[in-house]
Amino acid sequence: MKKRDTGSSTQGGRQYWRSLDHFVGSAEYNELVQREFPEGTLELGQKLDRRKFLNLMGASLALAGLTSCRRPVEKIIPYSVAPESIIPGIPKHFATSMPFGHDAFGLVVESHEGRPTKIEGNPQHPSTLGSASAQIQAEILNLYDPDRSQVVLRGDLPFRWADFVHHWRGLREDHLTDKGARLAILSGAVNGPTEQRLVAEFMIQFPQAIWATWEPVNDDNILQGMFEAYGNRLLPEARFDRAQRILSLDDDFLNTGTAALRNSRLFAARRRNIDPVKHMNRLFVVESGYSLTGAMADHRLAIPASQIGPFLAALTMRLKKQGLDLPVIPDGEISTHFDDHFLDALTKDLLSNIDGSLIKVGRSQPPAVHTLAAAVNEGLSRGHGISTLKYIHDSKSSIPASDHLLSLTESLREGKIDTLILLGSNPVYTAPAELKFAELLSSVPNTIHVGSHRDESGQQCHWHIPTAHFLECWGDTSSLNGTLAITQPLIKPLFGSKSKIELINLLVTGVEKTGYELVRESWRKRLKGESFDKAWRRVVHDGVFPESAVKSYSVELRPDAVKEAFSKCAQPPDHGLEIYFQPSASLYDGRYANNGWLQENPDPMTKLTWDNAALVSPETAQKLGVKNEDIIAISHHDATVELPVWIQPGLASDTIVLELGYGRRNLGRIAQGSGTDVYPLRRSDGLYFASEVKVAVTGRKGKLACTQDHHGLDEEQLARQAIQDRLPMIVREATLSEYTKHPNFARERVEHPPLESLFEEQNYDEGYQWGMAIDLNVCTGCSACSIACQSENNIPVVGKEEVSRGREMHWIRLDRYFSGSQEDPEVVFQPVGCQHCENAPCEGVCPVAATVHDEEGLNTMVYNRCIGTRYCANNCPYKVRRFNFFNYTKELPEIVQMAMNPDVTMRFRGVMEKCTYCVQRISRSKIVAKNEGRELKDGDVVSACQQTCPTDAIVFGNLNDPDSKVSQLKMQNLNYELLAELNVQPRTSYLAKLRNPFEEMKTSAKSENKHHDH
Amino acid sequence: MGYRPKQPVPYSHKLHAGDLGIDCRYCHVGVEVGPKATVPPTQTCMNCHALIKTDSEKLQLVRDRWKSGFPMPWVRVHKTPDYAYFNHSAHVKVGVSCRSCHGRVDQMEEIMQVERLSMGWCLECHRDPAPHLRPVSEVTHLAWEPGPDQATFALQTMATRNITPPTDCSGCHR
Repeated sequence: MKKRDTGSSTQGGRQYWRSLDHFVGSAEYNELVQREFPEGTLELGQKLDRRKFLNLMGASLALAGLTSCRRPVEKIIPYSVAPESIIPGIPKHFATSMPFGHDAFGLVVESHEGRPTKIEGNPQHPSTLGSASAQIQAEILNLYDPDRSQVVLRGDLPFRWADFVHHWRGLREDHLTDKGARLAILSGAVNGPTEQRLVAEFMIQFPQAIWATWEPVNDDNILQGMFEAYGNRLLPEARFDRAQRILSLDDDFLNTGTAALRNSRLFAARRRNIDPVKHMNRLFVVESGYSLTGAMADHRLAIPASQIGPFLAALTMRLKKQGLDLPVIPDGEISTHFDDHFLDALTKDLLSNIDGSLIKVGRSQPPAVHTLAAAVNEGLSRGHGISTLKYIHDSKSSIPASDHLLSLTESLREGKIDTLILLGSNPVYTAPAELKFAELLSSVPNTIHVGSHRDESGQQCHWHIPTAHFLECWGDTSSLNGTLAITQPLIKPLFGSKSKIELINLLVTGVEKTGYELVRESWRKRLKGESFDKAWRRVVHDGVFPESAVKSYSVELRPDAVKEAFSKCAQPPDHGLEIYFQPSASLYDGRYANNGWLQENPDPMTKLTWDNAALVSPETAQKLGVKNEDIIAISHHDATVELPVWIQPGLASDTIVLELGYGRRNLGRIAQGSGTDVYPLRRSDGLYFASEVKVAVTGRKGKLACTQDHHGLDEEQLARQAIQDRLPMIVREATLSEYTKHPNFARERVEHPPLESLFEEQNYDEGYQWGMAIDLNVCTGCSACSIACQSENNIPVVGKEEVSRGREMHWIRLDRYFSGSQEDPEVVFQPVGCQHCENAPCEGVCPVAATVHDEEGLNTMVYNRCIGTRYCANNCPYKVRRFNFFNYTKELPEIVQMAMNPDVTMRFRGVMEKCTYCVQRISRSKIVAKNEGRELKDGDVVSACQQTCPTDAIVFGNLNDPDSKVSQLKMQNLNYELLAELNVQPRTSYLAKLRNPFEEMKTSAKSENKHHDH
Repeated sequence: MGYRPKQPVPYSHKLHAGDLGIDCRYCHVGVEVGPKATVPPTQTCMNCHALIKTDSEKLQLVRDRWKSGFPMPWVRVHKTPDYAYFNHSAHVKVGVSCRSCHGRVDQMEEIMQVERLSMGWCLECHRDPAPHLRPVSEVTHLAWEPGPDQATFALQTMATRNITPPTDCSGCHR
């Protein structure tokens, strides 16, 4: 493929490209971009031929005369006894909380007549601070999952709950006789005071029993590292809002790392353009994959994960040499192959900065790296006098450790266990591969699986008990810093399932008690002062019990441990091919594999949907001799896994990045056939990365649905040659120093004559005028906005086939642009939804006036008028309009229909849809304000995307209010509009992105023996 | 228009709302606060009928449903399409009477739809609300007729209550 002639790019030599095909101007890319709606697609999953066409025509002609004229009789079914506070049509909001590993998210859930429809974050809860990630938003679909287990099963036969209770009572009597010596339970993380209390009671009843906990993605390495450093299993809580310089060592703290929601918000506080010269932080990222944190970085170094320890050791020595007080670290140099220039500049920057520096290490790195980083952090904070880390430890929570699982498997192998209960744990799918848990499981005489689905482990167990979803249960949770919150149910268990605590209580006592009673029992002693009921109602109402937050621990470093950690880190690493496991940004460890929204949510970096792939850098691909979609067989010890390749620019060389969570076998219709299970390659000595990997090219090709080249912003049509001139106008970036010299660079980037319209323009001086500003500085690309929009607006899931044709329906999409070289690009994200242009090109061409402009500046869409011409989508320069090619809701199971928002119309086949600026929310707020006799104020109307954004990158509001946040943002000199030169006058504008590189450093660096200069 | 379906129970608005003078809002509680006027729960009927006419045959279904807990299957008379969102409270709170859209319900033995309820019909009022406005206190007083000073009154109330009925599509279509 010949490299595209980029012509002269006018803006500082920066080129932009969306994919490698784009970069080289391949024929496939050109073909795709020219047609927004690729042709040759007629039936959903079927081929149309002439015979079928005539059949269909015949059928519809025959039916034409038979429909009756009267509309069908519709019933109104009121309540029998109306619940006191529900007024039909007005949703209520309830606070609840969701356990997630050893963290918890405080939520506020919108409920329509007793049916939850939308999840949002609870502003008072420290783990969410008001926002919700894409996964949290999608949990609502997990509640309404048609593939959830609905009945108690014994083998393959449905049994009654009472049967199981009877069965357990018998087993329990038996196990009591030897104090539980033959009894074992494997659960996920134990979270919350009630669960902890019940586990403690279990251990009192059965002192010889084993209760092991296992989470496939866990923070074990961090906790172990802290244990070695400080003698206690602590979690470092980073004060991102205090750190001016941040070095992330393989920590995706903005997206898939622990506490990502909270970290995003704190990080953004120091990133957004309020007073950039003084405040803007600088982020260095050293990683092997390409995470969203890496995308946000001002400087990024891609090295294999096994080399990050040595990197830290090298950095530590430089820091010591430059004067950092690190008494335990030996003096001297260690020879490394890392870029000297990068290390020197990094050292200098970390030391020189007076406003707080921070090194954060990800969960993938072995404990020694964490211990060493702790020592360096201490040295840095001593030097600066600012502490950027807090150490927290919820001593009451049992944080999972891999040793549990290993000792359990020992007992299983020795045949000591007669009864094994899997409590929300799926070891057949997620346990380290060398344990061969599936075989062990079949050897146990009594196995009971408790879970939401009869998953891979459930298929093998004797009994399967369905659990209730957190939205159906009473419970309580504990977040990372110990903040307690209560989980209150939003709906009665849809299938009459029991909650986890109700089950544990049954196991312990043999007697049934409701979750409500159990939780109240746990809280009776906790809530002191006023009457218990009053205090209880307050905590349930608020959704959080702030007094429970654990204060930070004062810590003292153990010098011997640091010395040992340093020598471990300084060991020269293995070379050769390495595999790196990362939790999927959408499916996490696999728990969301049956969630349509998350499967269709393009991975923020690769833009792949419905599949995982073996991600390799362009250079590694060349070495292996593979192209996109070539299937390779990866072998590690005795396991081999085959999956297609996807070339991801910017990855470390000789690394294959594998996403967990795909290839699930017994979860449901959405998960079936989606992706490849890579857990077989995951062993306990290489949970996050491993070497000793062999790769074989199979010669077969897979098919991956990737959205990165879809909806190309009016590229080929408008200006074939000027593509490189165009893209820097779409994404406007500059370094901080460039901005300081040219504060108006964002506005000056595009030169165009004065914009004049041919017709008289509308006057928008009065009333509410809605507008939106999106701050690219703090957008991390997490796609929470996309899923929140999907949840709020009933956007359908179309499936892999349709996505590969460019028909994904997301109203707001995250465009991801690479810039720079193929080997080491930078990445910027841009959320694009309908821009609500004042001179909308889509409005004038609708033959039936189905899309018109209203007086408040919204470009409205009237679904019932639309006849499906698609001219509007053709005219839209931003390509934000989505067409319903098929009746996507035809076969939607009834239970999934419960997740739909009743305030938004469900669209039928043949109808165009697009972002409406959440007009239903605007209407609702306007009516409420009108009824109260007041005007709307800033913050009354919050669009779904704005509400959930963890960094508040999206701001929506009234442009006619000069004090509104959105008006303030639009007045900033970084504000620009997309394709403004077309004179469409969009209401959505963007704030240009600033990067803050260290002047003395090259903008990007690569390790190993590379000597290219770009 | 003219749709007058048979209801499961021969409930007469003429008797209850007309002769007995029960206010519309006693049963249709949601009408001032939310989008839907809300058909009352069985409990509201039993508020009186637990003591009054306890042996009436016509009320047999009500008593049965009350005992069993199953709701009453009323037949819907007034309906706008699913893609149009109507909010009762926005209308009732500014002085649009029940009568304007539902007619003289207090004179109906069986509810009949007397107005078109089509979009064009709604727009007639939205473009010129003056003839249909009345003091908010008279909203459920269905016999009230506008007086000779209707025009001035309307202008006044439109100003004080900031009545600006939307004529844009987004007013009702979402």
